[in-house]
Amino acid sequence: MKKNDKSNLPMRTIDKSVLEGIVGKDNIKTDPSDLYIYGTDSSVHHAMPWAVVKPRTTAHVQGIMKYANKNLIPVIARGGGSGMCGQTVPIHGGIILDMKSMNKILEINLEDVYCRVEPGVVDDDLNLALEQYGVFYPPTPASSRIATIGGEIANNASGVRSVKYGATRDAVLGMKVVLPNGDLVSLGAHTRVEASGYQLHKLMVGSEGTLGIVVEATLSFVPIPEFRCMGVANFDVLEDAGKAIGSIMASGATPSMLELVDDVAIKAVNKTMDLGLKEVAAALIFEADGMVKEAVDYEINKMKKICEKHNGKDIHASYDPAERAKIFMGRKKLFPALSKYDDDLASTALADDMAVPYSKMAEMAAKIHEIADKNNIVMTAYGHCGSGCMHTKILMDTKRKDQWASAKKAISQVYEYVRSVNGTTSAEHGIGISKAESFKVEKADSLNLLITIKKALDPNNILNPGKLMQAPENWVTATNLRYAVNN
Amino acid sequence: MKTKTVKTKTKKFKHLGKWQDTLANCIRCGYCFEHCPMFHHTGWESDAPRAKIVTAFGLLTGEVEPSYSAIDKMFSCFYCLRCEAACSSGVALTKVFTDARKDLVEMDLQEGPGTTSTTTLQCARCLVCIEECPHEARFYDGKNIATDPSKCQSCGICVEVCPAGAATIEKSFGTSRNDLTKRASIFLQNHESAKAIVFACNWSYYPGLQASVLPDSETSGNDYEILVNMCGGRLEAQLLMAPFLNNAWGVMAACCPDDECEHKGYLNAKKQIEKLRKTFKNIDIDPERIQLVQIPAGNKTLFQAEIDTFIEKLNKMGPIR
Repeated sequence: MKKNDKSNLPMRTIDKSVLEGIVGKDNIKTDPSDLYIYGTDSSVHHAMPWAVVKPRTTAHVQGIMKYANKNLIPVIARGGGSGMCGQTVPIHGGIILDMKSMNKILEINLEDVYCRVEPGVVDDDLNLALEQYGVFYPPTPASSRIATIGGEIANNASGVRSVKYGATRDAVLGMKVVLPNGDLVSLGAHTRVEASGYQLHKLMVGSEGTLGIVVEATLSFVPIPEFRCMGVANFDVLEDAGKAIGSIMASGATPSMLELVDDVAIKAVNKTMDLGLKEVAAALIFEADGMVKEAVDYEINKMKKICEKHNGKDIHASYDPAERAKIFMGRKKLFPALSKYDDDLASTALADDMAVPYSKMAEMAAKIHEIADKNNIVMTAYGHCGSGCMHTKILMDTKRKDQWASAKKAISQVYEYVRSVNGTTSAEHGIGISKAESFKVEKADSLNLLITIKKALDPNNILNPGKLMQAPENWVTATNLRYAVNN
Repeated sequence: MKTKTVKTKTKKFKHLGKWQDTLANCIRCGYCFEHCPMFHHTGWESDAPRAKIVTAFGLLTGEVEPSYSAIDKMFSCFYCLRCEAACSSGVALTKVFTDARKDLVEMDLQEGPGTTSTTTLQCARCLVCIEECPHEARFYDGKNIATDPSKCQSCGICVEVCPAGAATIEKSFGTSRNDLTKRASIFLQNHESAKAIVFACNWSYYPGLQASVLPDSETSGNDYEILVNMCGGRLEAQLLMAPFLNNAWGVMAACCPDDECEHKGYLNAKKQIEKLRKTFKNIDIDPERIQLVQIPAGNKTLFQAEIDTFIEKLNKMGPIR
């Protein structure tokens, strides 16, 4: 699609009375001050919707979709609004479907090892409900305190434990989805395996709300391990930490967590929380879990030795829940803490979750710092490196127009490198608007296939238009930036 | 690049203007809203703390008009500070809200009270609320009792101390005496296993699911319900006694420890509970059926342990005969 080509996009307004007839007066907001709030998320983007609607039942969602499809009105499903690349920012206006009130845990089936939930259920709440039965839902991203299951499905969310337990796509057994024409379909099954067929429930995972609205999900869960041991290793050279990650994963070890934090990230966490982390070039946080202590010991010792071999120091590990919680807390709160690195710099969610092959992890970490220096901005390297995911954030003075130009240049260079080593643009946060430029280059030979699938399921292009392969080429000008930028 | 002009509006918002960098530094992660009692009550993201930060930013840049709805958001907050405790970006959210309020008051734009306490015509001008307000927000303007909306933290202590029932908080977000009494009776009447009501102050970080709902099969056997009444300073006899009229076996109330209370609410909580325990003793009901616990902010585990002990105690006592 050409830049700013809106020929295939619906541009109508809404009839509030019709929406009221479907969901009732109390479940709609159209005041500009409310719309302004729902025009933002955790990304750099902002755009105004035309209405916010809070469906409480599947029938509400079906009613809204029928009306929107007939009148060519964009519909954007929204969970916790914690997305980092503008997935729920209504780039072409339309109706925001705030799914947070469809928040019931419908069933916890211990016999068949699955649970059924509505899309607005919060990840932490689900895990709290499961905990009493000794099981947990493992994909859990760092934002689990507000992230909803619907949003996690839309972005194929993953987190620190995905290295062992997989991402959302691995935990979703089935779902009920409302299609753009209002039809309700059941996809997948309640069983662990399902043979051939197009596995449409897996297609929905990661579709960023562009193919259907998930109104119920069937998820698998796993037992909470009896033993968890967490270790830390400090490194004076970032590349050494990167090499240790590659070696651990190639060794056949099965960490339940393998996280990298660099010096910028450590400084930010120390500034925000009194955790007393040693300010070194990089630290690796690793964890092993299991039902047998000897097996956990074996994994931990294996990882400790590999860290040692790659010049790791101050290596220690602990089974103590308080010590583990302290180590984990720093990692969990890292993203918000980055905004405290320097009072004049804001932490922006840009180029934030690429994945590269294990053997390139060290090079990637070094490359991020090299590119940052070259473009006169601050970037940090951290992430779930055990699953190949490297996070970064760009810390910059968002008021300065030149910093945005530098950020754009740096991001292009980062992605260019990622693609050159057969990496991927987004490991877990999604594409949305901010990462579409690189996504389209990376997926060049399958782009037409993606467009064909989108057209088949959503012929009128009403579901979250302007995202993924439809997003504008230039993310900086795609929407209003949510920051105040001086000319 | 589409840019926003900030200079002209910053002049108008002279108090809020100093937070311009902070508003940019807020990463809008949303980690604050699971803690907000207003979001819990309405389920609308636009009532959550992040929404107020976004609105403050919009007011400053001129992207948000100071409409009734926008202003009402800025004047709606219980100052429970849980959002600030949850924010690891260190944004002083309530200070931002207060400065926005100061600007709006100075611009004569305080159109609605939000959660600010107000005084009805029933006021006898006894001045008790002025003496008792822990935030020095209430004053006598020569004719009436008035509230400074930039100082009021909506703790509701004026509502409880007013003998004429003239002090009110118009938008209570489910924390008014009527709302709480109603919710207590619905729980007690609809759960055969129901034994107790737990009144939690919002600072206590009550345990349990924050934003989702369990299946009926999981909740039908619940023996207690936690109701958030915002501050221990708002506990009073009628509220505490209401569950007993619906056959509750006991009532527990939680407030902050003496040195952590922002509103001196613990003083009233202790006084009210002690008074009721004496009354219970006089009418030959075990005073242990009504209990006060002081929970440090954030300690959900301790709170749960106290509830479990209380229920265990009630199980031994059985229902009131």
